[in-house]
Amino acid sequence: MEFDWTEDQQAFRQTIRDFLGANLPDDWENFSEHGPASPALTAFAREFCVKLAEAGLLFPHWPREMGGEGLGPWEQQILSEEMWIAGEPRGGQYMNVNWIGPTLERYGSDEQKARYLAPITRGESLWCQGFSEPDAGSDLASLRTRAVFTEGNYVINGQKIWTSYAGLADTCFLLTRTSDDRKKGITIFLVPMDTPGITVRQIPSLIGEGDIHEVFFDDVTVPESARFGDEGQAWEIIAYSLRNERLGIPRFVLARAALDRAVAMLKQAGDFGGEAVRIEAARCAALCEAAGTANYAVVQKRVDGLSIGAESSSARYATVMAERAVCEFVVEFVPEALAGAAPYLKMHHQRGIVAGVAAGSAEIQLNIIASEVLELPREPR
Amino acid sequence: MKLSLSEDQSQILDFVDTLTKPFASVPMHDVSLALSSDALDAELVEGGFLDVMAEEELGPVTAALVVERLARLPFAVEAAASALVRHAVDPELPRPLCLVEEGRLRKPVRFLKEGATVLVVGASGVRSFTASAEMIRPAQEDTLYAYPVAFLTELPDALTSHDVEAAEILRCWRLALAAEASGLLAAALQSVVTYTSERKQFGRPLATFQGLRHRLAEDQVMTNSVYWLAMRAAGTGDQGDAALAALHAQEAAKRVCYDYHQFLGGMGMTLEHPLHLWTYRLKLLTAELGGRGAQALAAADALWE
Repeated sequence: MEFDWTEDQQAFRQTIRDFLGANLPDDWENFSEHGPASPALTAFAREFCVKLAEAGLLFPHWPREMGGEGLGPWEQQILSEEMWIAGEPRGGQYMNVNWIGPTLERYGSDEQKARYLAPITRGESLWCQGFSEPDAGSDLASLRTRAVFTEGNYVINGQKIWTSYAGLADTCFLLTRTSDDRKKGITIFLVPMDTPGITVRQIPSLIGEGDIHEVFFDDVTVPESARFGDEGQAWEIIAYSLRNERLGIPRFVLARAALDRAVAMLKQAGDFGGEAVRIEAARCAALCEAAGTANYAVVQKRVDGLSIGAESSSARYATVMAERAVCEFVVEFVPEALAGAAPYLKMHHQRGIVAGVAAGSAEIQLNIIASEVLELPREPR
Repeated sequence: MKLSLSEDQSQILDFVDTLTKPFASVPMHDVSLALSSDALDAELVEGGFLDVMAEEELGPVTAALVVERLARLPFAVEAAASALVRHAVDPELPRPLCLVEEGRLRKPVRFLKEGATVLVVGASGVRSFTASAEMIRPAQEDTLYAYPVAFLTELPDALTSHDVEAAEILRCWRLALAAEASGLLAAALQSVVTYTSERKQFGRPLATFQGLRHRLAEDQVMTNSVYWLAMRAAGTGDQGDAALAALHAQEAAKRVCYDYHQFLGGMGMTLEHPLHLWTYRLKLLTAELGGRGAQALAAADALWE
């Protein structure tokens, strides 16, 4: 076991930091408070990602045959960390390079690859993920948005919710039901968001402007060529996608950075001398670092070419614990931060709220740990 | 960054597992509060398992791995201090090695017996002496802690001073605490998983009830991250990492011990089930080095001062 970064990895991290230093505006910290899915940040990301692509830093972890540099999972992790800690200047495009691109490469038709991969690699496209529905959240397989094959086209009707980036996305990676079989009846479509019949409504939220939406599909008609994979193949494809995105966002690095920032503010104000605040701060640091090492253990499995199982749920839950602790620390000891005194801490707080809900709730992670890590007998259904 | 075991590390852990196999379960009808074995201790010494720290290609991470693995056994063995602290002081110090905080003589001392080396760490530096019979007062016979413990009645007039910073020994001590707690947490969790998977109420195993499942899953998250923080503290040799690892270990112990006995119901109150061998060791470890608050303050000093 080794716990230091190699020289190459350190140099790679520095390259990214240099790039960020040169390409983020001076008022970036105020700016990033808009949230990754806000119109302002989305517009910024469209320019930023083009530059990132030109510098070879948009998808260096992709294999060479896909145009990447063939760098490994550690470099992908470092890239994700540096972007997220900076407030995610890629906006929603992080999804493109983490899982949408690799999934397109693996399951897409030639036409789909030709149409969608090039804009992703140029840093020009924004996707949204049409998964959750009002009655299908944690129980995703109960989704009801239906696609019916009629006269050579599919006609889609239904509703999605919590859809990040939907307001400004070009394309939706959409899960629909094509038959009643719970999991094998689900089919993916790649649907341009300007297709007639799609209505997007923003949901006012705690987590920032423009982040979550309802999306309505009323007789949305798409050609057969918009189907991604075979009918009923969605569950298999999502499982593959999630293997590329099992860990998700490296939230623990932002939590730790926010904690350090809060401590710096407290020190400056002369309020970091008491034992109560120091003990709480250290508890938060322990949870952040605990989440970090648990996440790295999962990255190591990817490096070793091993299949990643439920240990990623354990790392995810550790991350939720860290996020929660830091959010609570800031509110308890630096309450002014959320009222305008520290945009970076407010940005962290708003993103931290999401940690236990998005991409599989914390409770679902606990279910997975119970069944697959601890191998407890299953609950009766 | 490389978080998988090296070949050497895998091999050594295999050796440890093979050697400790006869000690991996509680002997039938042995319902003592503490459980220790001179035979196991002798075999570990003979095999050099407590000296892996000194081997250049093995070092502190391997030593921490060995300590973690040994702590899973129902038998208590003085491994953590010998494997992770002794080499920073003097590799020739006779065992068992008992760690004592200066000015805190009222606390029970683990593994204290005649002939043991007592290492006193504090403001006066790092000093040691060999315990003689008259300095030792036995603990109550049915003391609940599952280690052999005794009290020091006094310090000798003359102690041997060691030319090493107390802060460095405290770092090693925190690492030792975290590595040992990590193994104890893993063993305690496994024993509760086994019991609740088998024990049926309302016609189904206890572990099928979400009220238990989620708490056990959270305990797994804590246990897993204590392991990784302990290994990282061993790998980096950093003061802050050691304090965070010890803090997280004591936090985890505090969090799980009550739950685990609760989940076992009546069995959790008996000596028939071995759970107490791990949880009551954990409880005593939460009292080391001033407890969670002191670990947190040490971490805050290291991280932000």
